[in-house]
Amino acid sequence: MTQRQGKMDSGVIITVLICTALLVAIGAVLLVDATGRRGSGLSRVYELDAVRLASFDPNLILYHEVGPPIATGFERSRALALGANGRFYIAGDKAVHVLRDKGTLEQVIRLASEPHCVAVSAEGRLYVGLRDHVAVFDEAGQRIVSWEPLGERSFLSSIVVARDDVFVADAGHAVVLRYDKTGQLIRRIGEKDPDRDIPGFIVPSPYFDLAVAPDGLLRVVNPGRTRIEAYTFRGDLEFFWGQNSIRIEGFCGCCNPANFAMLPDGRYVTAEKGLIRVKIYDADGVFEGVVAGPDELVVGGAARVFLSVEDAEASGFDVAVDPDGRIFVLDTIENTVRLFVEREKG
Amino acid sequence: MVRPRLILVALAALLVVGVAALGLERFPPPEFETDYVRPTTTAPNPPQGLWEYVDAGVLAVTLVLATVLILRTRNRKLIFALMLFCLAYFGFFRNGCVCPIGAVQNVTLTIFDPGYAIPLAVLVFFALPLVFTLFFGRVFCGAVCPLGAIQDAVLIHPVRVPRWLESGLRLIAYLYLGAGVLFAAMGAMFVICRYDPFVGFFRLSGNWEMLVVGACLLLIGMFVGRPYCRFLCPYGVILRQLSRLSRWRVTITPTDCIQCHLCEDACPFGAIRKPTEPWPNKEYQVARRRLAFLLVLLPVLIGAGGWAGYELRQWLAMVHPEVRLAQRIYLEENALVEGTIDASDAFRALGRSSDELYAAATQLRDRFGIGGALLGAFVGCVIGGKLLSLSVKRRRTDYEPDPASCLACGRCYRYCPKEHERLKRGREGLVRH
Repeated sequence: MTQRQGKMDSGVIITVLICTALLVAIGAVLLVDATGRRGSGLSRVYELDAVRLASFDPNLILYHEVGPPIATGFERSRALALGANGRFYIAGDKAVHVLRDKGTLEQVIRLASEPHCVAVSAEGRLYVGLRDHVAVFDEAGQRIVSWEPLGERSFLSSIVVARDDVFVADAGHAVVLRYDKTGQLIRRIGEKDPDRDIPGFIVPSPYFDLAVAPDGLLRVVNPGRTRIEAYTFRGDLEFFWGQNSIRIEGFCGCCNPANFAMLPDGRYVTAEKGLIRVKIYDADGVFEGVVAGPDELVVGGAARVFLSVEDAEASGFDVAVDPDGRIFVLDTIENTVRLFVEREKG
Repeated sequence: MVRPRLILVALAALLVVGVAALGLERFPPPEFETDYVRPTTTAPNPPQGLWEYVDAGVLAVTLVLATVLILRTRNRKLIFALMLFCLAYFGFFRNGCVCPIGAVQNVTLTIFDPGYAIPLAVLVFFALPLVFTLFFGRVFCGAVCPLGAIQDAVLIHPVRVPRWLESGLRLIAYLYLGAGVLFAAMGAMFVICRYDPFVGFFRLSGNWEMLVVGACLLLIGMFVGRPYCRFLCPYGVILRQLSRLSRWRVTITPTDCIQCHLCEDACPFGAIRKPTEPWPNKEYQVARRRLAFLLVLLPVLIGAGGWAGYELRQWLAMVHPEVRLAQRIYLEENALVEGTIDASDAFRALGRSSDELYAAATQLRDRFGIGGALLGAFVGCVIGGKLLSLSVKRRRTDYEPDPASCLACGRCYRYCPKEHERLKRGREGLVRH
């Protein structure tokens, strides 16, 4: 009888190999997660950990919150302005609420549509920016006049009153409009003009703020470029500052700062949305410190996930400053006004 | 007089300035100057405009070259060289995308979704190989397809697959094509791309399951020539039918077949058909009765397939993300599962109502009922057609490649003595001249 020893037919080996490969392949196909039910399956290197990136040195916090928050009385607060004699003017829902220092509701000015921004003149006149036009009210809350509508695409997001002028930021058209106090349009500021080295505003979301600084120049946020630009009232771009960074020194995301205010000494108070934080920059735009970070401002801090569009949109907090340098933050999530004062040094 | 070179330089400078001007307008991307590492994505970047046209151009040129090499030059080495170039270019350089196999789904989606506009390059990738196949046989499979090339490159010890097994396994490709078309038509998934076994090798990344599948197919491909092309490729199904109609196609002999039998085992893909003997009368009578029976069976198979496909609608519909979401929302709303998932959170954040979602899912399921019935009928028709083809004897006097199965690889040429004669005459002609 012939016996084969130590040899195996190559056909058998090939058949075994093919069958094994076939079974493994079928098994692998069955394991494919075609519907994504097991998640991305990617390692942690792919994770954008907002909490870690948003963390900063707590010693940078220069302010602390004082007193309980003041309820605005709105379901959706939009903007805050401070008037003379300690009044708050808060725009929201379809009204402007005038509050006293401790939060006592003094006056309600009802509006036909939702206001986006509000400003008070030295004479006590109230300028309310609605979606496409400005409405002017006297101190008693009586409507004096409504200015010419600016068209369907307009979205007024900020308004500021100077001595003789009113500046309105139109986020829809990405332009600042300079009016006289009677509502006559004098000039359009910030439109792209290569001859004057003006790059134009990039406004990806309805946050486009402005203010008049103590040096007499207009400051306007160019949110898409994450910087603040200084313009003369004639519309010449003088300088700008600001850098895109998730670090505490910069402005993060697509479009920040969402709002800002000027301190009496020319420093800036900025409010960012998304990663909600309020910070101080000196007059040259150098980062000085933090008024409040995500942990101080929002429940959940940087880890907070906005589950609705409205919730996410509300994350653009407004800020205002009084002559004493106290900082008022309009919390558009909780619909309150919160007061922050500088910590005692040393 | 202005020199042409100066004009070119000026145009180039203008182009550079123009690009810079366009760049100025672009939205500045956020900068993460932290220690966050931006990961490399597994999918390639979206094709850029110019590259799409370059790819289409390379496809056209390689198809022309393949046609010349396969039908006129008849040189396996050159065909293999072109195949390696296509593997390198379409596979590793262009990351295996766009490919005509996946383009079947783009074309289907274009037909069924008016909101989807198919890119011109994808349309070219889909249509050009079909046109070439219609005229010249499967020259695309032979030398241009990177998926075919990667398998052809590893074929070292071909074994014969029995005809019955080959015919049976080929049904998978028809089913795969039907499923690919159905899911693309419903907007559910590009299943052919999702289960591409070789794209992970081309991109040097991918999910491990498909990399394992690809490795297994290559392992099998060392012994069974081009298993993906023969038993799985959905595009190959279309090419098979068109190749039957082709006017010019691969022939083993350059002149007349001398019935030497030398080429009989030359094809690693089992595509060479032998000359046929006339049927004995008794066998012919049996075959006639069988044919009549199968002709009656055909509509039954189609109907049964259609019914089975319709009954599977619930299962098929689960491939659609909207239907899966509806099921998840239902389970969550009725406390049948704990917690939520990202998709259900996102659904609620968008403010859509559950009723609206359920209505959409029901509508989709009904559409899957129709689509499933058509898919089932198609599979029934293919099975019936295959049985019918087995019962029909084709008269063949020479050894010749089966027009549908021949992958135009050019391996059989050198087995033909007539081919050697041709080459010899060619060499002598060269010497004389």
